[in-house]
Amino acid sequence: MKTHDEMSCRRLILESLVEYEDGSMPEPERRVFEQHLSHCPPCVVFLKSYQATGRTLRMLKPREIPKNLAEAVMRFVRERCEKKP
Amino acid sequence: MTAEQDASDVDLVRRIKRGDDEAFREMVDRYHARVYSLSYGVLHNREDAEEATQDSFLTLYRKIGTFDESKKFFSWFYRVALNAAYSRARRRRPLRTVSLDDYVPNLGGDGHALSPEFAAFVEGAEDGAVARDLAEKAEGFIAELPETYRDVIWMVDVEEMSPADVAETLEISIAALKSRLHRARLYVRQRLAAIAAPAQTGAGARRAAP
Repeated sequence: MKTHDEMSCRRLILESLVEYEDGSMPEPERRVFEQHLSHCPPCVVFLKSYQATGRTLRMLKPREIPKNLAEAVMRFVRERCEKKP
Repeated sequence: MTAEQDASDVDLVRRIKRGDDEAFREMVDRYHARVYSLSYGVLHNREDAEEATQDSFLTLYRKIGTFDESKKFFSWFYRVALNAAYSRARRRRPLRTVSLDDYVPNLGGDGHALSPEFAAFVEGAEDGAVARDLAEKAEGFIAELPETYRDVIWMVDVEEMSPADVAETLEISIAALKSRLHRARLYVRQRLAAIAAPAQTGAGARRAAP
C-alpha cells in the first residue's frame, strides 16, 4: 500500500508522534500521516493509547497548593536573611 | 511563557535587586504555586515539595544579583527550583530507576507491538473513575524514570509547559527534548496499559453494583 511505503508504522510510532501531537508537524507530512492512519487500524490504537497517556498525565498536576505556602516562603526567607524582605 | 510575562518578570527582578521587598513578595505570589508543582514532580511528596519551594525562593533572594537580564527569568528560576528539589531528593534514599531500553516498542518490519491491553487502556482512560486510578499509578511510574526523562515528561505533560520553554529551562535542544519526551511517554504508556485490564474490570464491577 502506497501510504505505508511513504510513512511506515515504525517511523510513525518511533519518530513522528511527538510532532503530530504538539502540532509542529508540517502540513504535507501531517496529511501523509493521517492518510496512513486511515489505512492502519493498529497505528490508530497506538496513537489513541499515546493520547490517552497524555490525558492521564494531565490529571496529575497538583490542584491543591498547600494553604499559606506564600506566607511560609516569606517567613522562611526573612528568618535566613540579614536584610529582611 | 509570553513576552509580556518575561518583561513583567524582569521589572520585578530589577526592583528586587534594588532592595524593593514588595517586589519580592509579588514574585512569591506569582511563582510559588508553579515552583511547588515543579518540585512535587521531582519529590512526589507534599512536605518535601513545600520545603524545596522555600529553598528555591531563598536562593532566588540571595542570588538574584547573578541573574543575567538578557535571559528569560522563568528558565533561570525553574533551574534554581529543579536544583533545589534534586538537592533535597539526594538526601533521601535514591529511588530505583528503570532502563528505558527495555520499554522501546519492539516492532518487526511493518509489524505492530500491540496487545489487547492497549485497547483496554484506551477505553479505561475514558472512564473518569478508572482514569483517576490510572493517574495515581502514573505518578509512581514517572518517579521510576531516570531524572532527565522525569523532568521532561512532568514539565510538558503534567505542567503543560511548551516544549520550547522546557528545552530552554533544561538547556537542551528541542530535538533532544522530544526524544526524551517520546521515550518517557512510551514507558508510562506501556506501564499503564499493563494495569489497565484489571482496573477496567474494577470499574465495570463498580458500575454494575446497585
